[in-house]
Parts: sequence; C-alpha cells; structure tokens
Amino acid sequence: MATATSMRLPWRAIVRSVTTRPTTQSIKTPPAASIPQPFTRRWASDSASNTPIGNEFASASLERAAATEIEGTAGGAGVDAESHNASTITTTPPSESSPTESPEQPRRETVNPDTVRPPRAVQAAYLRPLRRPATHGLPVCDLQLRSYSVRNLEFFADFCLRAAYYLGLPAFGPIPLPRIVERWTVPKGSFIHKKSQENFERKTLRRLIQIKDGEPETVEVWLAFVKKYAYYGIGMKANVWEFEKVGVGRTMDAEMEQMRSEVEPTLRQFAFKKGSAVEDKVLELINRGDFKAASGGNAPMIRTPTYKLPKN
Amino acid sequence: MSMFRAKRLDLGCFVNVKVIRDHTKRKVFAEHEPERQALRYIIRNLSLPARTRAQAQLQLAQMHCYTRPTQIRNRCIEGGKGRGVLRDFKMTRYNFRMNALAGSIPGVKKAAW
Repeated sequence: MATATSMRLPWRAIVRSVTTRPTTQSIKTPPAASIPQPFTRRWASDSASNTPIGNEFASASLERAAATEIEGTAGGAGVDAESHNASTITTTPPSESSPTESPEQPRRETVNPDTVRPPRAVQAAYLRPLRRPATHGLPVCDLQLRSYSVRNLEFFADFCLRAAYYLGLPAFGPIPLPRIVERWTVPKGSFIHKKSQENFERKTLRRLIQIKDGEPETVEVWLAFVKKYAYYGIGMKANVWEFEKVGVGRTMDAEMEQMRSEVEPTLRQFAFKKGSAVEDKVLELINRGDFKAASGGNAPMIRTPTYKLPKN
Repeated sequence: MSMFRAKRLDLGCFVNVKVIRDHTKRKVFAEHEPERQALRYIIRNLSLPARTRAQAQLQLAQMHCYTRPTQIRNRCIEGGKGRGVLRDFKMTRYNFRMNALAGSIPGVKKAAW
C-alpha cells in the first residue's frame, strides 16, 4: 500500500508503490471473473479514503497518466476486456466516497508496470549526465569549481555537465584536482600553556570541467548560465582560450602598428602608470617653492630645467 | 593623533582605543601614499640635482609617523588584540579556536591525520 513516504521517492519508486495497492494487486490474480466488480470497487474506494490527501491525489494523477500511456500503446487491443482479459479492471469510483475522481464516465485502465516509464528527460535526471563527443579535441574552456563540501561540489559539477550537454558542448570531467589543505595549530587556552594545542584544517576540494571544440559564444552562454545558477558554497573560475587563424603574427604586427600612437607614450612612462597620483605628486613637489629654493632655483643665472616646468 | 581621527565612529568590529588608532593610521597612510611614493621617487632619481634629492629626503623624514606603512599592525576583529592574530581570519588564535569549534568559519574543522 502506498504510504506518505512514497511522496519523497523518485518517480519510478512511486509507480512501484502504486502497483502494490490492493486495486492494482488484483491484476495479478489470474481470473478476473472470480473478483466481483463491486468488491474491487469498494476496495479501491477504501484504500483511497485511508491514504492521506496529498498521496491520494498523487496516486490518482499517476493512475490517470498510466491510463493515458497504456491507451496510446495498447488501446486497439482491449476491446471489451473486463469480461475476458485478466489484466484489465474497470475502476468506477463511487462519487460519494472519492470526490477527487471525475464522476462522468467509467475509466478503463490497463496497468502494466513493465511498460510504464517516465519521460526521457525525467529519466535522465536519475542517470549519469549525458555527454557529447569531441570531434577535434581542442580545449576551449576550463572551469574550476572549488568548495569545502564534496556533496555540493559533486552536485554542481553534475549540473554543469548537464547544462553543457543541452547546450551542445562536449564537456569532460569532473576531473578531481588535488585538494588544498591548510592547517593551523593554536594553543587551546587564551593565555600561556603552549604544551596543549589544537589542530584545525580546511580542505578545499576542486573539480575541473573541460569544454572541447565549443563555439566561443556557446561557451560564454554556458558560463553565464552556470554563473546565474551558482550554488551556495561553491567558487568558480574559468580559463577560456581563443583560437586564431594561421598567420596570427602578421595580424598582430598590423594591429601593433595601428596602436603605436597610443602605446608609445605609455611605454615611455617606465616608472609609473600614466596619470597616476604619484606622477602628479612628483611634479607638484618639484615645482614647489622650497624644492626650487633648495636646488638654487631662485638664484640669478639659473634657468629652470625643462623637467621642472609644470605640465600645463 | 586626534587631528587624523574621524569625528564619528567609522568602524563596525570590536572597538577599542588601539583599534581606532590603528584604523586611523591605515586611513592616513592611504591618503598620503602618493606623496610618499613621489618623494621616494625623487630621492632615488639620479637625473635630478643632488640638492633636490636631499630636500626630498628631508621632506620624507619630516612626514607624520601616521603616514608610514610600518605603523600599521593587524588587530583582532573580535577582541582588538595585537598579538597572535591569524592573517587568514583576522582573529586572535583563541578567538579563531572558539569560532572554528562553533563552526562559524566555513570549511574549518578539527584536524586529525
């Protein structure tokens, strides 16, 4: 009999528990004629009234789903099956006992647990993530996940792989990278007593997911998606490689020639960054009265050197 | 030094005279860092006249001690102590231990190997 705990179980488990209900158990008893019709009906209504409301709803909806599935597959075969076919039962729930069922018309159900299966997308969630094969094997993106908890890390790595599959990216991994172990040893007490100490540690777990042969835009979409649904307690970092055509050197040289006017003044400033606060300060200091006086700037016959002139 | 100190309390952690003082020193240092670096540059620049460089040396030596980076000392955010502060957690060893045992520091556990 289906219990309330079956609500927590995955889809297939619920199906199994539904099949063990008395109504459906009667399928396995071979002679259908031996079970009187009102008897099964009463049994079904009893079991439905005993189960909690949420579960009753779930099982009812499941039955309906199963019925539609079977109708699709073996609808032509069952003509008037309740008289001669053992695996068919008409469940006409009495309208006063189970209000959740629709009272308009008796529904014909053929429940065969072997043929019932969840949709493929739902089924895939319980299996290992699907992968796409790489054609060239060129690494395009390395995503590193870090966390202190294995559980979250494994879960999120799985999520990333699934996302990559549905975006059409060939993903490899999760490759477990070496753990980072940090340790601290501190005295137990707040004062002296160095002899009694305590050790603490923090282990950072890492996983690497590598994308091969991906389009740069798709990889960016994947990274954005993964970032959007970032999981708690997990850090991420990505290395992305871009590939150029043959003859990069020539194009880079041409770019350099174009940028020369912008780069040259920067390169001349070897000491500090252009427009930094220090640069302004140096000029300001050097042009200050006391500095000029110190270098004899106020004395006659001494010209102001060019480097001391203010910028504007 | 009171002239550097903020008129209103601008700290959120454990507050103490020494903590406030250290905080003030950090702010003063950050404010005067370009000036210090400029003076250091003038002192080391051999293309400048010796007298200018000597003047810069004097200027640098005369700057307030709060503008020196060496005045800054890491303090415990939980108790304001200046010694035995773990850089990773900004806490004294004892406060670190208490927090680690309570599980407040992510990922830190008692080690056994």
